[in-house]
Amino acid sequence: MSYDKDSHKIFDFIQNWARKHSIWVLAYGTGCGAIEIPPTMTSRYDAERLGVRGAATPRQADVLLITGYLTTKTLKRVIRVYEQMQDPKYVIGFGSCTINGGMYYDSYNTIKVLDKYLPVDVYINGCMPRPEAVLAGFAKLQQLIAEGKANGAQKYKENLEWYRENQKRISPHWVMPEYNW
Amino acid sequence: MQKLKANLIEHINSGFRDAVAKDYPNENRLDFYVNKQCIPSILTYAKDRLGYIHLSHIAIVDWLEEGEFELIYIIWSPEEKIKMFVRTRVERENPVMPNIDMIWRQANTYEREFREMYGIQFQGLEAPEEFILEDWQGPPPMRRDFDTEEYANETFFHRPGREDAGDVREEIIKRSREEIPDFAKKYSR
Amino acid sequence: MREKATTLYLGPQHPGITGNMMIRLKVEGDTIVGATTEVGYLHRAFEKLQEKRNWLQSFTLMCRFCVPETDPMEESYARAVEAIEGREVPERAKYIRVMVLELARLASFMLWYGGQNGSLGLYTMGQWSVGDRNYILDLFEELTGGRVYHMYIWPGGVRRDLPKGFEKRVLKTMDYFEKRLNDYDDLMFENAIFKKRTQGVGIVDKEKAIEHGVVGPVLRGCGIRSDIRIDDPYEVYDKLDFIVPTAEGGDIWARALVRRQEARQSIRIIRQVIDMMPSGSVYNKIPNPQKWTLPKGDAYVRTEAVRGEIGLYMASDGGTNPRRVHLRGAAYVHAITLLEDILIGANIADVSAIMNSLGTCPPEIER
Repeated sequence: MSYDKDSHKIFDFIQNWARKHSIWVLAYGTGCGAIEIPPTMTSRYDAERLGVRGAATPRQADVLLITGYLTTKTLKRVIRVYEQMQDPKYVIGFGSCTINGGMYYDSYNTIKVLDKYLPVDVYINGCMPRPEAVLAGFAKLQQLIAEGKANGAQKYKENLEWYRENQKRISPHWVMPEYNW
Repeated sequence: MQKLKANLIEHINSGFRDAVAKDYPNENRLDFYVNKQCIPSILTYAKDRLGYIHLSHIAIVDWLEEGEFELIYIIWSPEEKIKMFVRTRVERENPVMPNIDMIWRQANTYEREFREMYGIQFQGLEAPEEFILEDWQGPPPMRRDFDTEEYANETFFHRPGREDAGDVREEIIKRSREEIPDFAKKYSR
Repeated sequence: MREKATTLYLGPQHPGITGNMMIRLKVEGDTIVGATTEVGYLHRAFEKLQEKRNWLQSFTLMCRFCVPETDPMEESYARAVEAIEGREVPERAKYIRVMVLELARLASFMLWYGGQNGSLGLYTMGQWSVGDRNYILDLFEELTGGRVYHMYIWPGGVRRDLPKGFEKRVLKTMDYFEKRLNDYDDLMFENAIFKKRTQGVGIVDKEKAIEHGVVGPVLRGCGIRSDIRIDDPYEVYDKLDFIVPTAEGGDIWARALVRRQEARQSIRIIRQVIDMMPSGSVYNKIPNPQKWTLPKGDAYVRTEAVRGEIGLYMASDGGTNPRRVHLRGAAYVHAITLLEDILIGANIADVSAIMNSLGTCPPEIER
């Protein structure tokens, strides 16, 4: 099979189509938003009909759902988890506190703007976002994947220095793990 | 209940003369102001002899102006149904408190938290130094003189827009060309 | 031959763990010989922030302390402010508060049903009970506007009166839940897997319970009848007729039996409250929040939440902001010292079940 420009397009299309229908979410409840995940996954809202389901380990997951505020202690674990995840990978910021700190804007222990530390593809706002909003967020992510615009992982790889610098600012003495991905 | 309370005051005062009692007549609550050295003995006495077997809470208040921390041990008796507050004060400079986790095991958790958040040393507390915070460089953060907003502004990024998100009424008025009512002016910052 | 001990890190990213915390397990083969908890992944410094907010603003922070049961926290805050200020609460508001608290309790039990069974690999129950929980959240949405965070019980009463016909809808939902609880029993308590995995696992005996000061269903699961609603009654609980169930044994099974009965008692309380509810106003107006000051003083209130007694100490220095708000959640007493104790001897697979059964909720440990 020749690998010219057009067939590459078709290949991308098929790949994105497949990816968009199997969004596996890492089961990591980082904050209080984790309370609306069980209703989203169970009988009434049933996110599995969109192909959204839970995955137990980072290496099998596609989406890192940051459910709410991130404390500095959790942020380190989240970065590790994100770097362990295999491509393709996406980040959804869930709740107002990931966007601008929300009601914790003056807390000494929570980060305020998530996209300075991790590349965020979709934000879902609200405190707490309803399951419908969560589903809308996933639908938006599917749309971005289909259009090939959900390229957060690419952004992270290319601007790693910038992200690392921001991450280091939180905790100067933190020895960061190096991954050869 | 008043009889029980009077009985309790008599019992405590017979063993601990400098304990000052304060009664709240309408509530099932009785306060004792004591010296910090007698905390373990008064709590042991209340637990073993008087039936106050449940340590409900250890609260702490930072009285910055007076230069003291106040620790309040709240214990509860299922039989008498009275909340007993044992209150003590400790200076803010190099605070040292006696340890009570051999009386109630759960006090260990409170003491670890206070050590980390307020910098109070508990004599003979056996637990790892770090509890909630990790790699914390600054002063104990829950102390009243630690400014959390200033620290947050220095350490974290803020999304622009929060600074001018103050009083939007001016802008709204400009758009709708109305006067600010007098009562609204009074409350605007 | 004795196996070599290895260290196993359970969490913070682990599907079986109840929230964002970590347990460092020392295991020999499959048996745990030592456990150290590590918390602090959810520390937001609420109590620090509340010192910077005024009395009404810090009320909105209050319900975010622990997310599975937001209403007991609001209730504690409201009662503490009322105790310091001496503010009266209208009689109708008290009944509405009890109704909301019991609905919240039932909703939290539904979450527990899902979690406890999910930790043992029985996922059908989660689909049922978490799905059914939405019916209660619908009621909350109608009443308060929010599914999870209600901010409804505030100092001086409740925020608004019941909508028209709300009582009827509550009763209808209660009828549904009464039927459903029997289905849950068939699925859960008749299940051989559930029995085998829970009986004799995670035992808390009476002496240990008193030494660690455990509260709520854990204490009642070892045969001690203790409930703040009876012992130190608040609102209108002293006028209501309900029993406090206990069970013997102190294992996961006993705690499950206690909770099973308590869910039914909640339905019973809700029915009584709706029956007895007087008419009248629901709210004593508070002054302008920016200038609202409380007199100097302090208060300690206790509320029976789903996982046990929560205590709130509040001190006021006469200013517009709280001097100190100090909350002690139900999980604070048993999630660290007791958990480290009773995990010894258990299997790795039981850790999740034990944590669910104790009701470990990390956000209220570190706040």
